[in-house]
Amino acid sequence: MEQTINILFNGLSLSSIILLTSLGLAITFGVMRVINMAHGEFVMIGAYMTFVVQQLFAKFLPESIGGLYYFVAIIAAFGVAFGLGSLLEKFVISRLYGREIDSLLATWGISLILQQGARSIFGSQGVNVTAPSFLSGGITLGECTFSYNRIFIILLVALCMGAVWLVMYKSNFGRQMRAVMQNRPMAQCMGINSRKVDNLTFAMGSGFAGIAGCSVALLGSIDSTVGQSYIVNSFMAVVLGGVGNLIGTVIGSGIIGISSIFTENYTSSTIAKAVVLLIVIVFLQKRPQGLFVIKSRNLD
Amino acid sequence: MQTEIVSKEELLAKNPAPIKITQLSESVLDINHVSVCFDGFYALTDVNTKVKRNTIHFFIGPNGAGKTTLLDIICAKTKPTQGNVVYHPMYKDPVTLTGMKEYKIVWLGIGRKFQVPSVFVNLTVEENMILSLKKGKRIMDTILRKPKKEELDNIDATLQKVGLADKRQWRAGALAHGEKQWLEIAMQLVQKPEVIMLDEPAAGMGKPETFKTGEILKEIKKDCTVIVIEHDMDFVKQVADKVTVLHEGKILMEGSVTEVLADPTVQKVYLGRGGE
Amino acid sequence: MKALRLFERHGSNITFGIIVFILAMMPVLLMMGVVSGGSTILFLGKCISFAIVAIGIDLIWGYTGILSLGHGLYFALGGYAMAMYLKMQATGGHLTDFMHIGGLTEMPLIWVPFTLSPGSLLLVIIAPAVVAWIVGYFIFKNRVKGVYFSIISQALTWAACSLFIAMSPYTNGNVGITEIKSIFGSIKGSANQGNMFLLFYVSLIALIAVYALSKFLVERKFGKVLIAIRDGENRTYFSGYPVSRYKTFIYVLSAIFAGIAGAIFVNFNGCITPSQMTITYSIGMVIWVAIGGRGTIIGAVIGAFFINICEYNLSSGSTVEIWQYIIGVLFCVTILFFKGGIVGLVRDKVPSLFKKV
Repeated sequence: MEQTINILFNGLSLSSIILLTSLGLAITFGVMRVINMAHGEFVMIGAYMTFVVQQLFAKFLPESIGGLYYFVAIIAAFGVAFGLGSLLEKFVISRLYGREIDSLLATWGISLILQQGARSIFGSQGVNVTAPSFLSGGITLGECTFSYNRIFIILLVALCMGAVWLVMYKSNFGRQMRAVMQNRPMAQCMGINSRKVDNLTFAMGSGFAGIAGCSVALLGSIDSTVGQSYIVNSFMAVVLGGVGNLIGTVIGSGIIGISSIFTENYTSSTIAKAVVLLIVIVFLQKRPQGLFVIKSRNLD
Repeated sequence: MQTEIVSKEELLAKNPAPIKITQLSESVLDINHVSVCFDGFYALTDVNTKVKRNTIHFFIGPNGAGKTTLLDIICAKTKPTQGNVVYHPMYKDPVTLTGMKEYKIVWLGIGRKFQVPSVFVNLTVEENMILSLKKGKRIMDTILRKPKKEELDNIDATLQKVGLADKRQWRAGALAHGEKQWLEIAMQLVQKPEVIMLDEPAAGMGKPETFKTGEILKEIKKDCTVIVIEHDMDFVKQVADKVTVLHEGKILMEGSVTEVLADPTVQKVYLGRGGE
Repeated sequence: MKALRLFERHGSNITFGIIVFILAMMPVLLMMGVVSGGSTILFLGKCISFAIVAIGIDLIWGYTGILSLGHGLYFALGGYAMAMYLKMQATGGHLTDFMHIGGLTEMPLIWVPFTLSPGSLLLVIIAPAVVAWIVGYFIFKNRVKGVYFSIISQALTWAACSLFIAMSPYTNGNVGITEIKSIFGSIKGSANQGNMFLLFYVSLIALIAVYALSKFLVERKFGKVLIAIRDGENRTYFSGYPVSRYKTFIYVLSAIFAGIAGAIFVNFNGCITPSQMTITYSIGMVIWVAIGGRGTIIGAVIGAFFINICEYNLSSGSTVEIWQYIIGVLFCVTILFFKGGIVGLVRDKVPSLFKKV
């Protein structure tokens, strides 16, 4: 019983991180048909922002409010990633619409630059973020321990999901975004500035990667390749869930996260992740379009 | 007629047991109660018709009537929710096309031209034609076998027919829209299919070109069966042997051009609206 | 003008001839003392292997339009097969140090063939071919295409790489298989220069063979079918071609090229590690092809040599940081503005320059 609960909790926690890193991907891939290989680097930027904000707090502010740095870091990470994403869209991505594979390659070039940038600024050694004091420890219920920082990450993801849902389904911008997603030429004819929508959408996707970076920073040391280690899982979660379908991404992340933790019980965590990915690849043979396919009359 | 009977008997002699080749069937395609459903939307409902050998059979109907979907069903690009399509090749057993691989259907002699001109833009006109030859589609053939003299002659003749002979070294992407349509028709012809399906062959063509297309179709008809989707009613009048009118995924009526044009319902749902 | 026309028609073969000639001269120049340092030959040997894998990637990506982000897997499979054979030669068929450390007492099954006969060297080709066939057969049959294929190929490589690292008693994990002599014996030091030259020329012949085979394939109707698949996959199906079989065939072929390249690489490099299997390494290969010029065999060769020679000269000392920026920007700009890469640029610009003169 305890074991099951532990698996579920750890699985949920891993899933939520995967979900947070894939959220931005799902938005950019689904809405714009652009594969952003630099997405992992936005996660990295978010993680480094957390580090930077913490350093600034430690230097200039009294220790008593030190723990609050984390909330500032989330906002800063979102802001910086959002801004960089917007720039990237304006100068690179906007030239690549309709060229999916080229978008993948060009953004890989960007990711090389960003990684080297991080190495130039922060050095190639990993840096560590100390988790704010209110996140250390955990609740113990019976035999199970739920650490605060994992609970916090799950809540953070829930909050982000809520925000995405509000933006996409309740706001005017969301309506425009969905219109562009479903029928770009028609949306343009209705007077929607699709350039602006694209730019904001991409920036928003990058911003969420930044927030994901904040949570990644809590879990281990940060170096220039930190984004790469999450990106493969995120891509698979998006593909597994079915492209252009946020609920699909949620379920895809859930499946990958929980089954990874479950498999870990029987073997090491690296092997577990590899095995889960292989299983997902096999599964995708059965349903190449993912779990949730939008069937339509527009074939091809 | 005589030769046909001999062939049938020969076939029967070779495969005596289960096969029933009673006579050369009059129809070449039987579309049996086909329905297609996309997410609850019925693109086709219980479509049931036969296409006769060596005729030009038109499918007409307003946009969204399910014409292209029907062609997709025949060449197995789309799977029907219900029903199937049976093909009667010349002197061979009938085959159910539903569920077959696309390329095998082509090997059986069913060719298709798509609505949007889809020639291979980075290859020359001649290379496009060579790719379309009936023989040599296997990997080893394409590596080792060179096109034979008579195949090249066939390509020559076909290109002459559609008037692209002097542009054979052009990159297909550099051709005009109408020329691409011609090339695509030529690519179908060079395969010597038994059934050829044309999705809006006259789209983007002027009146004289359309007329010429019609004359070519009449000539093709001698060797094979032609299925056409077209909106241009003059074109339909020029060449159609039989017309099937589709409306909202169902067959509205079927008959000769004159019958169809005279029908009041057809006029109401289609002709009247189209501003013909 | 005549020279120009000749170049237009046979430019790629002429260029390849020049590259081969320069490479073939290098050992001679070294002997004459014009070039110094045996490491140049070692480095060029590695470049030859990179050119071979680049040709494979060009066949599948440049011609057929399938972007594989995981050819490092096949490169490493060929490399590991070679390394395992050479290691067994060195230990005389006994357990290696890392196996002892990993607690193995018997020769693991995957190593057994390498202790038996030199015929096991065929695994350099067979291992990548079988893996690529299994992957390709299912993926292409199920019509997984475009970016979906790329994402899956990258996940596959990542998974394989993790497994290789995790199974350290069998593969020596992160360290990989090290301290290997080449197939012709040691190539270190001036005493063994003969071995190194032999290895170099054999590799050069392999490159010529791979180039010639690829050139032959793309100039036959087969190559036109590949281009047809790239430009209109559905149309190719409806022209009666079993597209998924073609894709599997060319995918397996390019994996074999990668395997051969990996085997050559190991001989020059002296070790093989899982880092040759990573996504970064795999996409690196795609970068060579993109910058050299996709869709032309010679482009792949030029790209592999050009990028690696630049990297060799720039990524040491203080310029190492700058190199990463350069390659990132170069790649990005190539994809955005020069789809044809170096070869495309030359083909478009040079004739008009001649005309002006």
